[in-house]
Amino acid sequence: MGTPRNLAARLLRAIVRMAPEESREWALAMLRELDFIDGEWAALFWAIGSVAAIVRHAACHWRRWMKHETKEDGKMNEKGKKALGVGIGLFSSLMLVGCAFAILRIAGALFPGLDIDHLEWTHILTVIVIPEAIFVTAAVLLWRKRGPVAAGILTTALVVALHVVAHLTLHW
Amino acid sequence: MKLKLSPQTLLILEAFLDHPADWKYGYDLSRSTGLKSGTLYPILMRLADRKLLETEWEASEPDKLGKPPRHMYRFTPDGLRFARTSVSAATSGGLGQVALGRILSGLIGSG
Repeated sequence: MGTPRNLAARLLRAIVRMAPEESREWALAMLRELDFIDGEWAALFWAIGSVAAIVRHAACHWRRWMKHETKEDGKMNEKGKKALGVGIGLFSSLMLVGCAFAILRIAGALFPGLDIDHLEWTHILTVIVIPEAIFVTAAVLLWRKRGPVAAGILTTALVVALHVVAHLTLHW
Repeated sequence: MKLKLSPQTLLILEAFLDHPADWKYGYDLSRSTGLKSGTLYPILMRLADRKLLETEWEASEPDKLGKPPRHMYRFTPDGLRFARTSVSAATSGGLGQVALGRILSGLIGSG
């Protein structure tokens, strides 16, 4: 099994593990098709498309669940709503950092000659600078209408920044 | 519940209408329609959510030793009716008229 197909299988297996209950069967269906795909790169592109499909499906269910929850007045108090907002902000921003890191690792595995994995500036740019810029922009845009979500995003931004400071003080 | 009838959805409906009683696999559908997994599966999921498509796991066969069972798809009776109506409406000019209308309105707008 070549590197792209191996990556595709790993990616889909991870998605099967992480997918919510309602999307898991579909994720497994996409993984099972992998054995029948001719070509290494075709398998990887299949996996990437499948991940996108699962994320959209899970997001759709989640949106429906949120609508249902917000319709049920009185069931969730203001504190609960704020906590949920902060949780959403935290989760989505952590997912972004995770995806950035995964992209870096995938690029490192696909193009070992470039040595991307061991270059510090690629880590700083992909996992820190770009996500931090997105976090700040998102927090500014969301602050008025979705304050708790913005707070969750800013918390992640702060944690990532603190991590960088700690890293720099320890290693430099 | 309404289903968006995009050209890609119509392609999939047409693919299922070819031997509608047969179970079909995801990758085979992808090859026959030319759609990538990121486009194909959301449509299959929507069709299944609306009970237009039934899904089943393939029973493991002794001749396919080592290969895991695959997920299969087939129209439900409602799905078959929906597909026939949608595809015939599209081919008899339903969507063609919409497209023509858009082209004409574009021409008028630009003129």
